[in-house]
Amino acid sequence: MVNDQLTLDFLGFGLGLRTAHFEHVLQHQPLVDWFEVLSENFMVAGGKPKYYLHAIAEQYPLVMHGVSMSIGGTDPLNMDYLKALKKLANEVQPKWISDHLCWTSVHGQNSHDLLPLPYTQDTINHVAARVGQVQDFLGRRILLENVSSYLSYHDSTMDEWDFLNALAEQADCLILLDINNIYVSARNHGFDPLEYLSKINPKRVQQFHLAGHSDYGDYVIDTHDQDVVEPVWQLYQQALQRFGLVSTMIERDGNIPEFPALQQELQQAAMLAAKQFPHLSTRTLDAMALAQGQAV
Amino acid sequence: MSESLRQLQHAFMDYLNTGETASFQPHVIAQGRITVDTRLAIYRNAYRIRLTETIETDHEVLGLYLGDDLFDQMTRGYIQQHPSTVPSLRDFCDALPTFLAQKMPFSEHPILADIAAFERRLLNAFDAPDAQRLGFSDLQQLPVPDWPRCQLRFHPSVQIYSCQSNAVEAWQSIKAEQTPTAPDYSATRHWLLWRGDTRLTEFISLAPFQHELLMGFIQGRNFAEQCELMMQFFDVEQAPQQVLSALQAWFEMGLIAKLQT
Ligand SMILES: [Fe+2]
Repeated sequence: MVNDQLTLDFLGFGLGLRTAHFEHVLQHQPLVDWFEVLSENFMVAGGKPKYYLHAIAEQYPLVMHGVSMSIGGTDPLNMDYLKALKKLANEVQPKWISDHLCWTSVHGQNSHDLLPLPYTQDTINHVAARVGQVQDFLGRRILLENVSSYLSYHDSTMDEWDFLNALAEQADCLILLDINNIYVSARNHGFDPLEYLSKINPKRVQQFHLAGHSDYGDYVIDTHDQDVVEPVWQLYQQALQRFGLVSTMIERDGNIPEFPALQQELQQAAMLAAKQFPHLSTRTLDAMALAQGQAV
Repeated sequence: MSESLRQLQHAFMDYLNTGETASFQPHVIAQGRITVDTRLAIYRNAYRIRLTETIETDHEVLGLYLGDDLFDQMTRGYIQQHPSTVPSLRDFCDALPTFLAQKMPFSEHPILADIAAFERRLLNAFDAPDAQRLGFSDLQQLPVPDWPRCQLRFHPSVQIYSCQSNAVEAWQSIKAEQTPTAPDYSATRHWLLWRGDTRLTEFISLAPFQHELLMGFIQGRNFAEQCELMMQFFDVEQAPQQVLSALQAWFEMGLIAKLQT
């Protein structure tokens, strides 16, 4: 039988590696399954960030997550950026590399933001060709993540989920499904997040993101500076039902609490997964057993 | 490549930079309770906040020195005049010292550009490449006949910063939560910045002879030439001794990466 599995095995539950937690992670070696690092933060030549990165890479599986590939851009791909990305990947040997299905810059000007694309076959052709170039250069499949968005274009001829699915298929890349982004965009555009989930091809989903956002009533902004909210936890459970055990991490970029608070939030994700998958065993769950043992 | 996609992206980026909605708005669908204006403004606010936060983080002391109103005026002016063209926000403020030196009212106070330039140097020292560091014993092991021709290579984090104001002293006062003294432009000051073994960014002031000596070695002069140079400052007996004790300190600070003979 031919093994047609595209995605890597379940890696467990991870957190974003943030400067404020470098020292804690190195000293206490918390029971977290893996860390996601922001590639751009470590594309500097040397110094403290690099030192911690290498030390932590020796202890934990890492995955690399980038924000400036501009895969949907219309400027040529930035080869300097891709070279730096490849160099970093050689240094830290990440399990995988991801970026966003969006564009960030045009005509040499950088928005430093993840801007939405029009959902058309034209865009798919354009982006798929660029993904091909990147994957050839890096020598591996990349993951692309759905972004939060606040506007839709007249140009779009399909729904976001159909666009994401078709792009992943045509480009032969993998999907990083951000559950919070689905929720945020569903609120901002008035679609059903469950329909989104139900249309995504499980074979290509290798990672989930969870995060908090800011709710302004009429609209929601993806700020990554709050705890994960209840409706996103619910959507996460539904995602687990549809996609099975998928490596999950929580993003926190602002208003960053002490490490143990984030670890607790991650354990919540692990517990929700354990409800559906009773034989689940990960370091993140071990940490909980230890904590309970101490409490007795 | 899709020409309509490129046009759409141009219109979006122009809107982020200028706030002019006319060419971008027609691309955007009116849906639900959120107006198109609000949808656009979410992106423009985020863009400006991101750049403003970068300036605040990289130039924290400058911000405190200027106070809120002038700092706002500076960030608005800088963002308007310098749409980001850098891949990483790490480099977004590279042109800030020049902006401050040229733009009224900031240009009337040269110390502002100097503080900004000093903060750029601190960043450079912070994330410069790593390299090995030699100890003084490495120099002592060098055969005596090789000494005159010996040249030094410095750790990549080493930076020399010279300015015509008391910018660094003001920076230190603010950092220590004290009121800085009035701007003083009476003399050139020299500073040495580097990242030590502990990976902390450090800096010290340089006496004129130390500055000359450092610059000389950085420019590739050898020991013999340097001792010659020190005659400007010291007599014949003193010069080699001064060079040697300066060197000993540099090795201890972790500044020296390589000896070349
Ligand atoms: Fe995400």
